[in-house]
Amino acid sequence: METIQNLLSGFFLLGGVFFFATATIGLLRFPDFFTRLHATGKGDTLAVTLSLVGLAIHEGMNVTSVKILMIAVFMFLAQPTATHAISRAGVRCGLEIWRKEGKEEKP
Amino acid sequence: MDMFFLAVALGICFLVLLVLYRVVYGPGVFNRVAAISAVGTKTLIILLIVGFLYQRVDMFVDISIVYALLNFIGCVAVAKYLEMER
Amino acid sequence: MIHRGEDVIIRTISRMLIPFIQIYALYVIMHGHYSPGGGFQGGVIFGASFVLLLLTHGYHDARSRVSEKTMIVFSSMGVLIYAGIGFLCLVLLGNFLDYSMLAGILHVDPAHARSLGILGVEIGVGFAVMAVMVSIFLDISTGGVLPGEEEDVGEPPVKEA
Repeated sequence: METIQNLLSGFFLLGGVFFFATATIGLLRFPDFFTRLHATGKGDTLAVTLSLVGLAIHEGMNVTSVKILMIAVFMFLAQPTATHAISRAGVRCGLEIWRKEGKEEKP
Repeated sequence: MDMFFLAVALGICFLVLLVLYRVVYGPGVFNRVAAISAVGTKTLIILLIVGFLYQRVDMFVDISIVYALLNFIGCVAVAKYLEMER
Repeated sequence: MIHRGEDVIIRTISRMLIPFIQIYALYVIMHGHYSPGGGFQGGVIFGASFVLLLLTHGYHDARSRVSEKTMIVFSSMGVLIYAGIGFLCLVLLGNFLDYSMLAGILHVDPAHARSLGILGVEIGVGFAVMAVMVSIFLDISTGGVLPGEEEDVGEPPVKEA
C-alpha cells in the first residue's frame, strides 16, 4: 500500500515538474508579451494542480491533505483570473501584437 | 523518498533562476509582473516540499495558503494600477 | 478615487473568494498559539480581503461596507478590548495583563484563564490591525478627500513646464 502511494505521488510530482519546465521555456523563448502570458498562465496552473495532488496523496487521509487540496482549488480559480486581469491591462495600454514576418493582413 | 523530494525541489529552484532572467531583462513592466507571478507559484511548491523534508507539514501549509493569497491580490492590484494610468 | 472595474470575471471571482479569505483570517487568529499566525497576521489577511473588495468594485460601490467611519469604530474597539482586558486584571488585584486573575470571574483554573486571556487580546489586536490597514489604503487612494467634501477641494496646482 505504501509503495503504491509513493509511486503515485512521485508520478504526479514528475508531471508537475515537467509542466513547470515547459512553462519556463515558453516564458523565455516566446516573442511577445501575450504569448508569454499563454505559457505561464496555463502551464503554471496545471503544474501547480498536479504537484499539489501528488503531495496530498503522499500525506494520506489527513486534515493536512484536505488543506493542500484547498490550496489547489484556490489556485485553479485565482491564477487564470490574475492572468486575465494583467492581459486586459496590456490590451488597454496598447501593447503591440507580434505578427509573423512575411504574412499579409487578411482583410 | 527524501532524496526524490530534494531533487524535485532543487529542479524547481533552478527553474526559478531561469525565470529571473525575464524579471531583469523583460522589456517593460508587464513582462516583469507576469514573471513575478510565476516565481510566486513555484515558491509555493518549494515551501511545501521543504515542509515534507522536515516532517512538519502542518506548519508549512498555512504559510503556503497565505502566500498564494498575497500573490493573487498583488497581481490584481498592479494590473488595476497600470490600467488606470492611461 | 478608484473607479468601478468594468470586468465581469474579476468581480464575480472576487465576490466568490472574499468570504473564504475572511474565514481563513479568523482561523489564523484563533490558532495563533499552535500554528504560525496570531493577531497581527490574521488582521493583515482580513485587511487584504477588504483591499481586494475595494480594488475590484470601486470606491462608490464598496463604501457601504468599508467606509472610513466604520474603520474608525473598529480600530478604537480593538484597542479598547486589549486595554480593557489589561485593566480588568488590574482591577482584580493583579498586575497589568496578568490573566490568571481572570480565573475568579470565569470560574476556571488559572491555566485556562491565561489561555482565554491571550485569545481575547489577539482578537483585539486583529480588529485594530485590519481597521488600520483599510484606513491607510482609503487615505492613499482617495487623496484624503472625504465623500461629503469633494466640491470644496479644488484642482491640484498645475506645474509649469
